[in-house]
Amino acid sequence: MTNSSAKRFSRVGVAALAVSLSLLTGCATTSGERDPRDPWESFNRGSFEFNRDLDKAIVRPIAKAYHYVTPDLLEQGISNVVTNLSYPVTIVNLLLQGKFADFGEALGRFVLNSTFGIGGLLDPATIEGIPRHNEDFGQTFAVWGWEESPFLMLPFLGPSTLRDGIGLVPEIYTDGVSIAANEFDRYEPLVADVLTLRVNLFDLDDDLEEAADPYLLVRDAYLQSREFDIADGETDLPDYDDFLDEEE
Amino acid sequence: MNIVQKIGLLAIGLAAGLTVHAQSVDFNAEPFELVSQVSNALFDDINQNRAVYEDNPAGLENVVREIFIPLLDKNRSARLILGRHGRGLDPEKIDAFADALLNQLVNRYSEGLLEFDSRDLVEVLPLAGKNTDRQTRVRTRIELSNGEKAPVDYILRKTDDGWKAFDVIIEGISYVATYRNQFGEEISRDGFDQVLDRLQSGSIALQ
Repeated sequence: MTNSSAKRFSRVGVAALAVSLSLLTGCATTSGERDPRDPWESFNRGSFEFNRDLDKAIVRPIAKAYHYVTPDLLEQGISNVVTNLSYPVTIVNLLLQGKFADFGEALGRFVLNSTFGIGGLLDPATIEGIPRHNEDFGQTFAVWGWEESPFLMLPFLGPSTLRDGIGLVPEIYTDGVSIAANEFDRYEPLVADVLTLRVNLFDLDDDLEEAADPYLLVRDAYLQSREFDIADGETDLPDYDDFLDEEE
Repeated sequence: MNIVQKIGLLAIGLAAGLTVHAQSVDFNAEPFELVSQVSNALFDDINQNRAVYEDNPAGLENVVREIFIPLLDKNRSARLILGRHGRGLDPEKIDAFADALLNQLVNRYSEGLLEFDSRDLVEVLPLAGKNTDRQTRVRTRIELSNGEKAPVDYILRKTDDGWKAFDVIIEGISYVATYRNQFGEEISRDGFDQVLDRLQSGSIALQ
C-alpha cells in the first residue's frame, strides 16, 4: 500500500548501487547503540547526509517550483500517470508470490486505467472500488524466504535494505517509468515520478528537520513499513513487555 | 502515501480514534465498540463545528484535549517510550513527560482532523488475530482524499478504568516504537531532565 522513496530506478541508480556495495566493505563501526539490523550504519549515515544535501540543494527546490506552478488537477493527473506506469511491478510480483486473485484484480486495474483512464491520467479503477495493491521484488524475495536483510541507505535512492536494493534491478525491466528512460530515452516520466514522490513528502520536511535523529527516524519508519508491506498488513505487534523490561 | 507521511498521520490517527464526547460513549464498552463510538462522536462534533474550528484552531484543540486525555493510557505510552530510561524515575516525572508529549501532539496535529469530511471515512474492522482479554488490536481504515485507505490500528489494554489505548500503528509504523527510538537517542545524549525541559517548553518537535 505504500511507496518507498527508493522505488525508482535508472542508469544513475544502477551506478549508485554498485558504488554503495563496493563501499560497504570499507566501513568503520559507529559508536553508540548498534542495531543488529544496521551493521553498515556508518556508511548509511554518510549516504543519508549526502542524500539530504542533494535534496536541499536541488531536488526539493525544483519540486517546490513544480508544485507551485502546476495546477492541482494536472498534478494529480501526472501523479496518476506515473503510478499507472509503475503498476506492472506490482502485477508481476503478485504473480511471483502466487497471489492469483489479487493478480487478476491488479491486471484489471491496469487495463481499466490505461484505457478508460486515458493512459492512467484518470483513475476510474479507484472509483470502481478496485483496491491498489503494492508489491515489488524486495517484498517477493521476503515472501520467498529472505526475511532478514541489513538496512542500506542508497545514495540518490534513499532507504532500502540489501534485499530491497537488489530487488530494484529486475524492477528496471518491469517499471514503465524505467523502461521509458532506458529503452526509449524518454525521461519525462522519470522526472515526473521523482517530483511527485518529493511533493508527497513536503508535509514531513519540518518533522524530519526537527527530529532528534533524522536518520534513525527514516530507518525506523522504513523498516517498520516494509515489514508491514511484506506481511500485507498482518504484522505482529511490537514486543511491548520487552520495552518495559529491557536490560542495559 | 509515502512512508514519512504516515508518521504525521500517526498523531492525527491517535486523536481521531480516541477523541470522544464523554456523554456519548460507554466507557465500559468492549474495544471494537469503544473505538467505533469514539470515532463517530469525534467526527460528528467536527462536522457540526467545522466552520468554528477552521477559524479557531484553539477551540478545536481544547475539545480534543478535554475529551482526549481521559481516554488514553498516556502513562503506559510514556513508560513504553522511555523504556529503561524511565526506570527509577519519580512517577511525577513520568507523568510530566506523558503530559508534555500529549500536549505537543494535540498542538501539532489537531488541525489535521478537519481534513476528514465525514464519519463514513473511518471504517472499524471486526476483531481478528491474536487478542486476549487484556490486550486488543482494533483495526480501522481511514479513507484519504485520493481514495486510498490508510490502515490505522489501535492497541488497547484493559485497565481498572476500562479499555484504554496506548499505541497506534499507521501503515505498520508504531507511534510508541518510533518515538521510543527518537527519545532514547536524545535521552542517552542529554539526560532525561534536559529532554523533559525541552519537551515542556515546546522546543522538541514530534515526528
